[in-house]
Amino acid sequence: MTAVDPGDALAGLAEPVAPAPEPEPPARDLTPRQWVRTNLAASPADLALTVVFGLIAAYAAYRLLRWVFVTTDWEIVRVNLRQFMIGPFPSDQLWRPWASGYVLAAALGLAGGVLVGRPAPGGEGAGGDAEADGRAGAGAGLRGLAERFWPLGLGAVVVLSFTRTPLPTLLTVGLVAVFLAFRLLGARALGALRRFVWLIVAVGVLAALQVIVAGPGGVGWDDWGGLHLAVAATVAGIVLAFPLGVVLALGRRSSLPAVRLVSTCYIEAFRAVPLVALLFMGRYMVGFLFPTTVDPPSQLVRAVIAITLFEAAYVAEIVRGGLQAVPAGQIEAAHAVGLSQTQALRLVVLPQALRAVIPAMVGQFISLFKDTSLLSIVNFVELLTVAERATEQSAFRGQGLQAVVLAFAGFLYWVGCSTMARESRRLERRLGVGER
Amino acid sequence: MLAVLSLLGSACSDDDASGDRGQQAQGGDGGGSLLEEVRDRGTLNCGVNDAVPGFGVVDDEGNYSGFDIEFCRVVAAAVLGDADAVEFTPLDAETRFTALQSGEIDVLIRNTTFTAQRDGAEGARFLQTTFYDGQGMMVRADSGFRSIDDMDDTNICVLAGTTTELNLATRFGDAGLAYEPLTFDDADAIQEAFINGQCDGWTSDLSQLAGVRSAFPESEGGPEALTIFDEAFSKEPLGPVVRDGDDDWADAVNWAVISTMLAEEFDITQDNLDQMLESDNADIRRLLGQPVEAEEGAEPEPFDPGVGLEPTFVVDVIEQVGNYGEIYDRTVGADSDLQLERGLNAQWQDGGLLYAPPYR
Amino acid sequence: MATTPVVSRPPLWRDVRVRRVAIQVAVLAGVVALFAYLYDNLRANERALGIDGSYDFLDQQAGFRIAYTDFSPGDTVLNAILTGLRNTLAVSLVGIVLTLVVGTVVGIARLSSNWVVRKAAGVYVETLRNLPPLLVIVFVNSAGLSALPTIEDATDIGGFLVLSVRQIGIAIPRGDGHGGLYLALLVAAVVAALALGRWRRAVEERTGRPARAWTLGVTLVAVVAMAGYVALDAPMVLSRPEVVGRRVEGGTIMSLPFAAVLVGLVLYTSSHVAEIVRGAILAVPKGQTEAATALGLSPGQRLRHVVLPQAFRIAVPPIINQFLNLTKNTSLGVAVAYPEAMYVTNTVIGNGNPAIQSILVVMGLYLVVSLAISLVSNLANWRLRLVER
Repeated sequence: MTAVDPGDALAGLAEPVAPAPEPEPPARDLTPRQWVRTNLAASPADLALTVVFGLIAAYAAYRLLRWVFVTTDWEIVRVNLRQFMIGPFPSDQLWRPWASGYVLAAALGLAGGVLVGRPAPGGEGAGGDAEADGRAGAGAGLRGLAERFWPLGLGAVVVLSFTRTPLPTLLTVGLVAVFLAFRLLGARALGALRRFVWLIVAVGVLAALQVIVAGPGGVGWDDWGGLHLAVAATVAGIVLAFPLGVVLALGRRSSLPAVRLVSTCYIEAFRAVPLVALLFMGRYMVGFLFPTTVDPPSQLVRAVIAITLFEAAYVAEIVRGGLQAVPAGQIEAAHAVGLSQTQALRLVVLPQALRAVIPAMVGQFISLFKDTSLLSIVNFVELLTVAERATEQSAFRGQGLQAVVLAFAGFLYWVGCSTMARESRRLERRLGVGER
Repeated sequence: MLAVLSLLGSACSDDDASGDRGQQAQGGDGGGSLLEEVRDRGTLNCGVNDAVPGFGVVDDEGNYSGFDIEFCRVVAAAVLGDADAVEFTPLDAETRFTALQSGEIDVLIRNTTFTAQRDGAEGARFLQTTFYDGQGMMVRADSGFRSIDDMDDTNICVLAGTTTELNLATRFGDAGLAYEPLTFDDADAIQEAFINGQCDGWTSDLSQLAGVRSAFPESEGGPEALTIFDEAFSKEPLGPVVRDGDDDWADAVNWAVISTMLAEEFDITQDNLDQMLESDNADIRRLLGQPVEAEEGAEPEPFDPGVGLEPTFVVDVIEQVGNYGEIYDRTVGADSDLQLERGLNAQWQDGGLLYAPPYR
Repeated sequence: MATTPVVSRPPLWRDVRVRRVAIQVAVLAGVVALFAYLYDNLRANERALGIDGSYDFLDQQAGFRIAYTDFSPGDTVLNAILTGLRNTLAVSLVGIVLTLVVGTVVGIARLSSNWVVRKAAGVYVETLRNLPPLLVIVFVNSAGLSALPTIEDATDIGGFLVLSVRQIGIAIPRGDGHGGLYLALLVAAVVAALALGRWRRAVEERTGRPARAWTLGVTLVAVVAMAGYVALDAPMVLSRPEVVGRRVEGGTIMSLPFAAVLVGLVLYTSSHVAEIVRGAILAVPKGQTEAATALGLSPGQRLRHVVLPQAFRIAVPPIINQFLNLTKNTSLGVAVAYPEAMYVTNTVIGNGNPAIQSILVVMGLYLVVSLAISLVSNLANWRLRLVER
């Protein structure tokens, strides 16, 4: 591989500051003047860098803002907003996603409250975000929250600004309220509930699914689309891939050569092909792998199968990393206290390994969320499909609106991914702190 | 690896041929005709376009509309008596035949050109052509090109995975012209590439080029900025496609489509349907499933040609969707954005190619 | 498979060795049975639906052209897919090099002491990392590159760069006359410089005199390059791109879809590489930097001699993983009409060739490419580890 030696050329702009994830100047200790001197104009070269980059950044920001607020007519997004959100889901069934959203919010709120809601000194702000890390004082709570969730908030504001009636706004506010209320409830109810938290989430998810899909006069999976489809496919993919991935990871570390071989072959093979190819495979071939007597599964199920097989290989590698991180002494100790192989695995190794891989799993979740955009290539009514279709509607045809709809679709992805990424980093720090 | 394994697998499976055959019988005829299946299911699964103006587009409510969509509705009206009992499956050019083969859709109505290879190799059966098209070339009016033979050393925009791409290769190859084909997945991407100068020419079915030209943005000079050459360098008969080997289903779909053409021939429209039901004309009475005297003196009864449809299916079709001319005008013709002439798609009396077989 | 002699005390089913063999046999049998079952279903379905399961179509004429290649309609389908694969590899290789450069620069910039640079790099990473690569490519294509001028009024920047919406040409040096000899001379010079550096380092270890390996090596190569250039009567010329008719000629030429895939993937992947580089630099213990400072090294020296070499080792495995991702993501060229392997396969299927076999063939090709990259990465990793101890 090419060894790059950036060497002295980059030294000016490349001064590692501190092992903090996001080196922030110790603003409180510096006067504005000193801050400017250290951060903007440490040397003439530094000043030049500041000016050049400042100008470029200012110009880019100007062009972007002008494009967003002046040049662009966002009517195409306003008109197609519902398509972006839920695709071809029937409009008279809109209450279903909302209802499932409420159930989910309640379940997640309760779970979140039980899990993290223990009264920590300094409140929520103690977890803080990257910027506030390590020195979150009192009163930083609100700021911490804002820093954590501003992409999500921005997303909600932007999306709701496109709605034509106040109802969605009210419902969204209600959704947040329900989440917070149940969170509070969870935090209060503590203790006894704690070990049932997974049950709560599982029941919540199942109930929500039930309401959407199978409730009286329900809506089949084939009508899912837009952001809703992206989220559903992501969740289904990870949930299904996780057990398979754990089995494969254990298989790859097995002492039995045949088991190791099978697991390794699976992992390497599925990591080696692009997901698009697997999705095409799902579309063309999975239906044929079922017996002729059985009706082939629906397209969404086939796509989820392809995603699951693909993700399982990645999950396996992540879990394997976690397993390797468990010190051998732990297993020896487990054996020493008389646990069998399986018991040691179940009670000692896996809990530690899985805990260690949570951040990486969130990362994988994010990348899967991004990968759902590939569903548009295999004929699903995914965000990009909606974008493409919108530009063919007679009111918007041939007006060069691709950039507009793509920007909106991209924004939705960005909101989802960056929110999760922020939470993941926070989690990582918390787990890391707990471990050392 | 899968390929290797399936090759390995083929060794064992050849001994197993008898088992396969058993299953084949089950899958092939055991289930009966798709016609029964569709009736049992109560909905028609129709594979369509979702981004070809005039033929298949989706509005902001998620509703499909267009010429091909109307013919899905025609089939649903004829088979199920309800034109709205259709599930639309959007398909790409690349995925359409597989979707048909795998049973994902019952009928494919998606600007599909009838060719020998497709009819022969892909397990597909082409039915009555609904739209006679030809491939043309569109250039900018100020480009200086007068015909395709001027277009040496050019970039040509074309839709991927279509016969258009193959015709292009043949036409330019025969004329010895050098060109680079830029293939895109959808028409809007081509339009963008065309506007910003990535390609000199845009080749597609003439109907689609006309549609694009009529809606060409004023900011780019409007329709006058574009020229479509007179030359049509291929025949593009577009029509519904069903799976091979199911004659009952093919008959039903075929006659549903033909009935719209016959209705136009007899001037049966949505508006005058009620009067037409009272008509004395034997042809019209037969088509509409009204009692006719089969032979001298016999009890009059509805004509049933045995294509697997209710005798009065045409009434449902006309009432809920309309005749061929109405569909044409509404989606691609005079009353639409595209403003296409009837041209080849006029009735035979008017010099067109619509020459529907008689219903008797 | 009754191999294990029953000499041991426990009954057969409790014998660890028997159980090990039994489990493995069961697993293998299960896998084989699963594949046989699936394959059987596949064949049964194919027969029921009258689908041809053979691979004969690979030898038939493709019938279409592939833009900016010499692939002609008369060539076979297999050749079409292989031409696509060549395009895949082309964009991957160029992309990998550019990604490494851009990613490293941005990653280091994220740690800059300059606030503006740091924040700009931060925005770059945080934006691109959180977008689907497909969207980045499509956006680069339809919002970025399509704004380039038409071929008729292409922008020509000093004869080094020709920008048009059709093709982008970049000037490259090209051999002329004794070009081959000159190139050989240069390679020899580089090899000599490396050997010199090695020797100097050995001397440094022994005597403590500064090695100055870089200075000496670069000087050597520069001298040879200049002397050779004069001696061989200008063996290399700069091939400049220029617009000829409706195309760009000379230099090295990128088609627009190629550029869209390349730029899109480099933007996306470099944001990940930047994070890896940043993380790796931060993972170098702070004491190392402090010790280097105490030894009196300048910031540049600290970075070059102490921090980066250590960070490099940490960063290599995840970066190679990103290279693998980049290679696989070239399959998204489907969306912007770049005729890579997946795209050509799609066209092949659209033209009436069997879908399942086509996809299996292209997946097999991806498998080979990815495994080759994995192999290289494992070798690199192994070598680095060896150096580490």
